[in-house]
Amino acid sequence: MALTLNMTVNGKARKVTVESNALLSDVLRVNLGLTGTHVGCDTSQCGACTVHVDGVSVKSCTMLAAQADGATITTIEGLAAPDGTLHPMQAAFKEHHGLQCGFCTPGMVMSAVDLARCEPNASEEQIREWLEGNICRCTGYHNIVKAVKTGLTDMQSGGKVAAE
Amino acid sequence: MAEYLRARTVDEALEALARKPFRILAGGTDVYPAAVGGPIRDPILDISGLSALRGITREADGYWRIGALTTWTDVLRADLPPWFDGLKLAAREVGGVQIQTAGTVAGNVCNASPAADGVVPLMAMDAAVEVSGADGTRVEPLDAFITGPRRTTRQPGELVTALLIPDAGAPGVSDFLKLGARHYLVISIAMVAVVLHRAPESRRIVRAGVAVGSCSPVARRLRGLEAVLCEADAGAPLEDLAQENHFAPLSPIDDVRATAGYRREAARTLVRRALSTCREALA
Repeated sequence: MALTLNMTVNGKARKVTVESNALLSDVLRVNLGLTGTHVGCDTSQCGACTVHVDGVSVKSCTMLAAQADGATITTIEGLAAPDGTLHPMQAAFKEHHGLQCGFCTPGMVMSAVDLARCEPNASEEQIREWLEGNICRCTGYHNIVKAVKTGLTDMQSGGKVAAE
Repeated sequence: MAEYLRARTVDEALEALARKPFRILAGGTDVYPAAVGGPIRDPILDISGLSALRGITREADGYWRIGALTTWTDVLRADLPPWFDGLKLAAREVGGVQIQTAGTVAGNVCNASPAADGVVPLMAMDAAVEVSGADGTRVEPLDAFITGPRRTTRQPGELVTALLIPDAGAPGVSDFLKLGARHYLVISIAMVAVVLHRAPESRRIVRAGVAVGSCSPVARRLRGLEAVLCEADAGAPLEDLAQENHFAPLSPIDDVRATAGYRREAARTLVRRALSTCREALA
């Protein structure tokens, strides 16, 4: 059963025709070419596929595209400014080298940006708890947590990267 | 390809269910992992848009109503009395943040996993399940609603519309403890919920709920222990009231996560700890 869906993805209105059982992660990657959203486990555990649907972080392998009809979606490709200036959270991951192989990074960054909405002054413990649903198989968590802490601070100060 | 229907009203959902046995999709956090390795082939009835079923309200008839689309994050953010704390602790154990944001309390119940973290505190709170169908609405105690692993009394034409929790009308406390192989994102080896209410003007316990999960096909109430706890003085060492025979309802198995003997020991220890925490909170 094919469905035609309308959604706003990274600020642009998109219309896609997909099968009723297509997952949002597949539609983002295959139909819209947004391959920054990674699929690591397909079982809702790893969090690499995290995107924002109407501002809230969800695992896009755990949602039918059909459920996102009419929704506003932000993927990792939608975070940076149009001129390429990195989002403060992306800049913080770069500054602190919050990645090793980089596979989990899009999901980590998207989760961290949602943390800023819910707990802008999160402690290290809160950051670690928040990222429970995002797994880094390189186990590079120390730098990820440092990056998120800096990112949260920089998002409040309007994106200026703190000199450390 | 699979049929997909997005219900706009509860009546529309019930009409669809009367027509054919759809797989019901709310938060979806158990639906998708179950299909791993292949596409979803069942016809899907998506009820996630039924916003009338979302939220926790205190009803005039002395019940708390948890609408079927209430998520774990909704539970965590709701302003609830302390005897809901056990449910909130369980909410934090259901997957990570993204899963808590999507997954629903009622879905956890309907999925009927023996290791469902949410079921244990709900049982200890005497929760009942509101089930709607073409012929009207019925209410069934949670421990009767779940009949086995992945089995409930919900019929193909029915939809769970809410969980109902009676208000004991007395000050209460609760605790939830979960044992897993690690702290985060793990399926339980054993988990325990305790809910105690005391008389408004004394330390006499007037209602006790104790439930254990992952140690039997369906989570079980320890009714013998509950009976002993009722009428006890909340200042006494309640944890010493737990006796071997109180754990007779449990029938743990050996599996990849733990042995039966380890589970039995864990259940005893967790019950003692939860009773101790509740006693301190009540005193």
